[in-house]
Amino acid sequence: MKGEAAVRARNESAWLLPNDGSRTNHRLREDMRHHDLDDEVDLVVVGAGAGGAVLTQRLARAGWRVVCLDAGPFWDPDRDWVSDERGSHGLYWTEPRQIGGADPVPLGSNNSGRGVGGSMVHYAGYTPRFHPSDFRTRTADGVGADWPIAYAHLRPYYEAIEAELPVAGQDWPWGDPHRYPHSPHPVGGNGDIFLRGASAAGIEARVGPVAIANGRFGNRPHCIYRGFCLQGCKVNAKASPLITHVPDALAHGAEIRADCHVSRVLVDDDAGRVTGVTYLHRGREYRQRARAVAVAGYSIETPRLLLLSATPRYPDGLGNESDQVGRYLMVQGAPQSAGRFDEEVRMYKAPPPEVSSEQFYETDPTKPYKRGWSIQTVSPLPITWAEHVVAQGHWGSVLREYMRDYVHWATLGSLCEFLPQAGNRVTLGDETDRHGLPVAHFSYSQCDNDKQLLAAAQTTMEEILTAAGAREVITIQRFAHLVGGARMAARPQDGVVDADHRVFGVAGLHVVDGSTLPTQGSANPGLTIMALAARAADRLIAGARVGLAHQAAS
Amino acid sequence: MPYRSPDRRAITPQGRGRYPGFDVLAQVDLWDDVTAGAVLARLSHPTGLSFFTVAEVAVAAPLLDLLLAQDAEPRVPVLELIDERLAVGETDGWHYDTMPEDGDAWRRTLACLDEDAHSRFGRGFAELAPDQQAALVQAVQDTDGDWHGLTAAQVWSLWTRYACTAFYSHPWAWNEIGFPGPAYPRGYLNLGVDAREKWEQRDDEPADPVTAGRRVEQARREHAELLDRGTR
Ligand SMILES: Cc1cc2nc3c(=O)[nH]c(=O)nc-3n(C[C@H](O)[C@H](O)[C@H](O)COP(=O)(O)OP(=O)(O)OC[C@H]3O[C@@H](n4cnc5c(N)ncnc54)[C@H](O)[C@@H]3O)c2cc1C
Ligand code: SF4
Repeated sequence: MKGEAAVRARNESAWLLPNDGSRTNHRLREDMRHHDLDDEVDLVVVGAGAGGAVLTQRLARAGWRVVCLDAGPFWDPDRDWVSDERGSHGLYWTEPRQIGGADPVPLGSNNSGRGVGGSMVHYAGYTPRFHPSDFRTRTADGVGADWPIAYAHLRPYYEAIEAELPVAGQDWPWGDPHRYPHSPHPVGGNGDIFLRGASAAGIEARVGPVAIANGRFGNRPHCIYRGFCLQGCKVNAKASPLITHVPDALAHGAEIRADCHVSRVLVDDDAGRVTGVTYLHRGREYRQRARAVAVAGYSIETPRLLLLSATPRYPDGLGNESDQVGRYLMVQGAPQSAGRFDEEVRMYKAPPPEVSSEQFYETDPTKPYKRGWSIQTVSPLPITWAEHVVAQGHWGSVLREYMRDYVHWATLGSLCEFLPQAGNRVTLGDETDRHGLPVAHFSYSQCDNDKQLLAAAQTTMEEILTAAGAREVITIQRFAHLVGGARMAARPQDGVVDADHRVFGVAGLHVVDGSTLPTQGSANPGLTIMALAARAADRLIAGARVGLAHQAAS
Repeated sequence: MPYRSPDRRAITPQGRGRYPGFDVLAQVDLWDDVTAGAVLARLSHPTGLSFFTVAEVAVAAPLLDLLLAQDAEPRVPVLELIDERLAVGETDGWHYDTMPEDGDAWRRTLACLDEDAHSRFGRGFAELAPDQQAALVQAVQDTDGDWHGLTAAQVWSLWTRYACTAFYSHPWAWNEIGFPGPAYPRGYLNLGVDAREKWEQRDDEPADPVTAGRRVEQARREHAELLDRGTR
């Protein structure tokens, strides 16, 4: 309880939610502070997702006047979300995007969200930390990049966010060994199979880490193990910024404007500094003045917005003097292997995120490839499961028969650390969206190391499933978690932002989301993005103590 | 619970399934009303089509029946569900840069399939026997690389993605595969291997993998025979 009191003192979100069985504090939204368009606010944040929402909450607490704009809706889980796979289409970013390259990466439901809460509204809920080695892969392994900050800089922020979500799981033996604030959840059939197979194959696995409170947390109820985490949690059990940071931000004077698509970051070319943003709301264009702007629109929309904001002084887009914007975008190779068991597994029960292993995370000097992969339970619902079956080449009656067998299958997924490459990037495409703005074109090609990791991960997953007693194993190639595209670097030649998330060459402009990651490890990125945002907020606050004189008064 | 006539219970597409009597809709009163609304809407009888032209329907209807082996009533109205999506431009939010956007891609690929029918059998796709149609569909799946200026694998992905999304969104398909559908606010209590809620229906066919393998083999054989007749 002492731990919870400390969380409540710095982030009251979970206690600001209603406890009468409904999920949204409407009062808080109605009473939200409003700023004038001509009012030069301290900061405009573009995007209320993992990065943007945490930044907004931290700065609002510090007394900053913050307006956060999100292109999507201000979700109300009771009204807007359904316990249904097909019906959850509206959660995803489905404005047009083009994909290409030698290994194109499909986007949509599997990659990014929209609306207040961002992609974490429908993320699975795994919240592992990065390993210390992730911050220096260039030095240690000769691949990837070194970050301008070290694991130690992020560690206190990992701890803070883990307590605020909160995260449940067993004691964690990998990377920087640590414990979690909540104990592990009971597992369903899929988790049982993973634990059984891993133990038989001599592989270490652990329950967690998931951002699903085990027990009541503030006014958030207990998980009901219904398995629809990727469709948005109607229960408020799974963490997303909508319930973990937005309520507290509102209570501290932040304004969150939903359904506002930012079309351009405005700069004063003479001064070389930002002056605000233009955005589109219900068919009209508005302009919000601001002393500073933080872009947090996800790895595709963030580079796109920087490119769309070109001016005579910045003809190739903001922060793009060294041609770095959009580059080094990464996805994790995410092959998924499924095994068929005599018993009924019914993987749709319990949250899809249950059990993971990071035994193969680090470079193994005996192997020809660098870096590694993690393994986690994933539990596709029927429409997604059909993709697995179709990927084996089945259609017609064979497809139907495999689908009838759904309850007998267990599925594992890997996250392979694909390496950052300059050619994997976002550019502006030759199509426009409904606002007439050029859409993002996202090009991806795998390197040799990437392909070796995919093969090795697949072999390991199949080994685990076979050890657990599977008689048939099938694998599908997928991708997950886009990060990078506006990466953090020590020098402008190597990236878009510095260690404090300031965009090189444009005063007052920041990028605070997954785009800033120079490497990705084989951990899901959400927790790291939130921890980075919490750190970025501290850096901004520290910087402002001298800079923004009126701060002292508020 | 909304009223349902006795002959509307535990329906499965084409009457096929392994979970006899399992009826997802029997639990409607345990769902939240927003979810219930979304799911029940899929049961209402489809009214007219607005995206596909008459000529396109003639190709799309048999194509979709084949892809999902819907060769008899009751059918999940897959064509109508796809038409509805395309009419409002509800795409997945991305398309390959070597493909037109989804609506155009559907129109174009249906026309190409019809062209294949003419050049191979001298008649439109709609006029062919199911086995001949199946042979043409299989040929698209087997094509490595170019198909009428498009990438065959990307065409296959478009067709199967839309078809499976529509079919497996329908409560009749859930009855067929033993999936209980919406689970809020009901949730699950009995987790773990071979653990069932009292209202979950166990798989009726013995879970012996040999039987399971044989069953898939049988389906595969029927499928192959269908194709075989088409190429002869
Ligand atoms: C299916 C799925 C499963 C996932 N599972 C996990 C998991 O288990 N663990 C994990 O850690 N991560 C997971 N992720 C990834 C994780 O959700 C993202 O990495 C993370 O949310 C990204 O944070 P972000 O701040 O960069 O962007 P987001 O959280 O996506 O936020 C970006 C926000 O910006 C808004 N926006 C974009 N452009 C504009 C604009 N021009 N104007 C105004 N607003 C704009 C968007 O509407 C969105 O709300 C998953 C993702 C998906 C799709
Ligand atoms: S399984 Fe639990 S955390 Fe996931 S959506 Fe359901 S209630 Fe929420």
